Amino acid sequence: MSGQPSSLTAAPLREPERRGAAVIETTALTKRYPGPVTALDELTVTVAPGITGLVGANGAGKSTLIKILLGLLQPTGGRAMVLGADCARDGERIRSLTGYMPEHDCLPPDVTATEFVTHLGRMSGLPPTAAKERAAESLRHVGLYEERYRQIGTYSTGMKQRVKLAQALVGDPRLLLLDEPTVGLDPAGRNAMLELIARVGAEFGMSIVVASHLLGEIERICDHLVAIEAGRLLRADTITSMTRASQVLLIEVDEGADQLLAELARRGLQARPYERAVLVGLDGDETYDAVRDAVADLGLPLNRLEQRRRRVEELFRDEVPEASGVG
Amino acid sequence: MTADHITRAPVTGSHAATAIELANVSRWYGNVVAVNDITMTIGPGVTGLLGPNGAGKSTLLHLIAGFLAPSRGRVTVGGRPSWRNPEIYRKVGLVPERDSVYAFLTGEEFVRATAGLHRLADVGGATRRAIAIVDMADAQNRRISTYSKGMRQRIKVAAALVHDPDVLLLDEPFNGMDPRQRLHMMDLLTKLGAEGRTILLSSHILEEVEQLADTIQVIVSGRLAASGDFRAIRRLMTSRPHVFLVRSSDDRRLGSALIGRPAVTGVELTGGGLQVRAGDFGAFSRELAGLAREHGIRLRELLPEDESLESVFAYLVES
Amino acid sequence: MSAEAGVIHDIGYRRYTGRRLGRAQILRALYGHSLRSAFGLGRGAKAKIVPVIAFVVMCLPAIANAVAVANGNARIVPYDTYTFQLRVVVMIIFVAAQAPELVSRDLRSHVLPLYFCRPMRRLDYPAAKLAAFMTACLLIIEIPLLLLYVGTVAQLHGGSAIWGQTKALIPGLLVGLMWAVLLAAIGLALASLSGRRAYATGAIAIYFFLTWILAGILITVTQRNVVRAVVVHPPKGVGPPPGAPPGGPPGTFIAREVTQVPTTAAHLSGLVSPFTTLDGVRQWLGGTSPGPLPGVGGYGALYGAMFLVLLAVCLAGLAARYRKAGGL
Repeated sequence: MSGQPSSLTAAPLREPERRGAAVIETTALTKRYPGPVTALDELTVTVAPGITGLVGANGAGKSTLIKILLGLLQPTGGRAMVLGADCARDGERIRSLTGYMPEHDCLPPDVTATEFVTHLGRMSGLPPTAAKERAAESLRHVGLYEERYRQIGTYSTGMKQRVKLAQALVGDPRLLLLDEPTVGLDPAGRNAMLELIARVGAEFGMSIVVASHLLGEIERICDHLVAIEAGRLLRADTITSMTRASQVLLIEVDEGADQLLAELARRGLQARPYERAVLVGLDGDETYDAVRDAVADLGLPLNRLEQRRRRVEELFRDEVPEASGVG
Repeated sequence: MTADHITRAPVTGSHAATAIELANVSRWYGNVVAVNDITMTIGPGVTGLLGPNGAGKSTLLHLIAGFLAPSRGRVTVGGRPSWRNPEIYRKVGLVPERDSVYAFLTGEEFVRATAGLHRLADVGGATRRAIAIVDMADAQNRRISTYSKGMRQRIKVAAALVHDPDVLLLDEPFNGMDPRQRLHMMDLLTKLGAEGRTILLSSHILEEVEQLADTIQVIVSGRLAASGDFRAIRRLMTSRPHVFLVRSSDDRRLGSALIGRPAVTGVELTGGGLQVRAGDFGAFSRELAGLAREHGIRLRELLPEDESLESVFAYLVES
Repeated sequence: MSAEAGVIHDIGYRRYTGRRLGRAQILRALYGHSLRSAFGLGRGAKAKIVPVIAFVVMCLPAIANAVAVANGNARIVPYDTYTFQLRVVVMIIFVAAQAPELVSRDLRSHVLPLYFCRPMRRLDYPAAKLAAFMTACLLIIEIPLLLLYVGTVAQLHGGSAIWGQTKALIPGLLVGLMWAVLLAAIGLALASLSGRRAYATGAIAIYFFLTWILAGILITVTQRNVVRAVVVHPPKGVGPPPGAPPGGPPGTFIAREVTQVPTTAAHLSGLVSPFTTLDGVRQWLGGTSPGPLPGVGGYGALYGAMFLVLLAVCLAGLAARYRKAGGL
């Protein structure tokens, strides 16, 4: 699963967002604290519907941004809008339309998941019966079945993260803010949570913003990326364009890489070694055939053949990446 | 995804090759067996320690660092036992998972105090160097309580490096670090490994371990499930056919040609291409190009789907 | 075409299109939830022990007196002070045990961000908790009074007698209200200082007990002893008894009487404890039943001010605590 945009499967979006209507919009958003600490510095960014990864901000910037978006903090300057409402003035309305999943532990140990999510459903403004029903549904959607009747203190980390997600879903939000949803999970747990988030984004009809430090995750499930550094916008782009294929072909053979290099050169291709593999400049479709034939002639074991793609990680590397050309 | 950026330099360098050795090591707490009869050797370079939550990774790190005694077996570092051996603290640096720093100290004070505890000859110099290595010079005079999580991690690494240890043990070191800090830390660990240090790194972020580590040790429920190069481990799993994704100019025809080969146990046309299960992975990889040419089919993409560390790890844990 | 042989129902995610309640109703839900917590409802048997025992013990004097009244005796328990000492002890136990249930648990589990990210305001949370705990304390205090009233009135005949009881009850209820308001505020303010229930309970209990005992000591030691000789005079016409000293009024010395007369310091000693402060306010407002304070000596307004100051400090403390807390 490389960074393909989350596509609609058989089940259509329940309530399609107005295409093009920005979910979050900030204009020169600034927040200064006494210190002097500038957490956000003239941040101007637009977040489109879909699943967006929020990356890079150190602790102060990210939590400040979330507080401002939820209307819990007034900015020092600039403006922020969520779902068309002004954060500074309509905070309550925004909070009734958003679901938030905090990064840190926030679950009481001596309450069952059902009671907890139901109570928070009431706190979201659901009438008593609706709260009970939606709590049950949310817990089912996140994959908690009989466990929901046990006390949360007995849960594993993975189950606790699911409860956090369920309470964010119970009020039927239009925007989900997930803060490091996979922290503390082992690889299997991370996998499950990422699949869950991708499913929510594709099938539940709500936009999601995932704050994460893990670029691999973001490449995997997000449609867009917003990268913030030192309180300013570093980059805002779609994942597709950030993982664009380059005009370089990567070939991995289990043995005989030198022979392959020589053979490719003989056929007039620009080839050079790279780690365990060989890179070849892609010059039209004929390159594929030439490579295929070279490998076949030599009888080499072909393990991998792909166009090199850019990676989101390159944004954070200071040196120029090698993806574009072959020397 | 190939491991692109972190070029693994050959291990040279000044540090005496200090190996960690465990011989039939077990550690239990009452009825709970945290580590169950583990025998392993960890040499210079970067080794990844992987396992599900609760598998015993932290216990193992604490055993190696000399903070815990094995209930059975022997743990040695550089030939010397790690338990009840104060010498060990000179050779080993541990970066634990828990926040064990004193929040009221500044970063510099904390590293300096650690240097002092090690009774280093040049406390000031060692402190400066360690802080420079983790790139925390700007923030060193601020209190640790003001640091972000990533910064705390970095200062912990500085404290673990201040005495220039041969062995570095890291428990989830990237926790809380933003991408730039992660990349910086990964570069640092690669460099330290290339210098000949023995680095053991426990992490759940497999894509990063894949880039950093030459060998991995996988612990499941206290037992050592596998060790070595993960690709080699994958090839050992002969009962599992290798899975590949092929995209070509005519997937269907290619698929029908492939299924005729004994190396191939299954083909499936999916939305993303032709998924091939190869019981004999070696034969398949040699035959594919020739077969495609024979049928006049252009090969555009061949991706091994379950050769990544993620897949190998998933297989090891579930079996 | 024949009827369908099978159906697959869509149990995917459903949007919520029903009614959404506003802030007022959300807070009422939080209020109700907290009120139930104060009595341990919905939390298993162990959580109910203290509240139930507190409630039962508080009712005992009322029940005992009601039974006595039914047997022809008078009502001796006053409405405005009830049984003061008992009330103090029961309320200390109840507040110390239950205030942390409402407040410390949420602090400990760091659940507050999940409240603040919802459609309510920062101070709504402590306001709802406070209202709930005041209600809980009110119930513990007033229901016994009502039991006493009903038990007494049941034996009475005639509108004016019943009216007399009612007239006596109402100030008692008002005093009870003051008790509930102040003690709940102090309890929650102190509990909000710690996420550990044990510490919170300890802090509340120690504060209440120490100040109560201190007030008692101060009141006793600051009273002045006035010694009076009690003398009995002989009836008219009878001469002085033989051997009586010459001069001076004739009379037989019976005894020495020592009375404690409150000094200014004694009047003011009550300010150190919330319980005696409440008693001071009661006396200032005209309460006549005897209480721990030997009169307010003209300083009644001071007690009124102290009541308000304590209340204000606790409310401000709660507001400050929750404006900062929450991690969000």
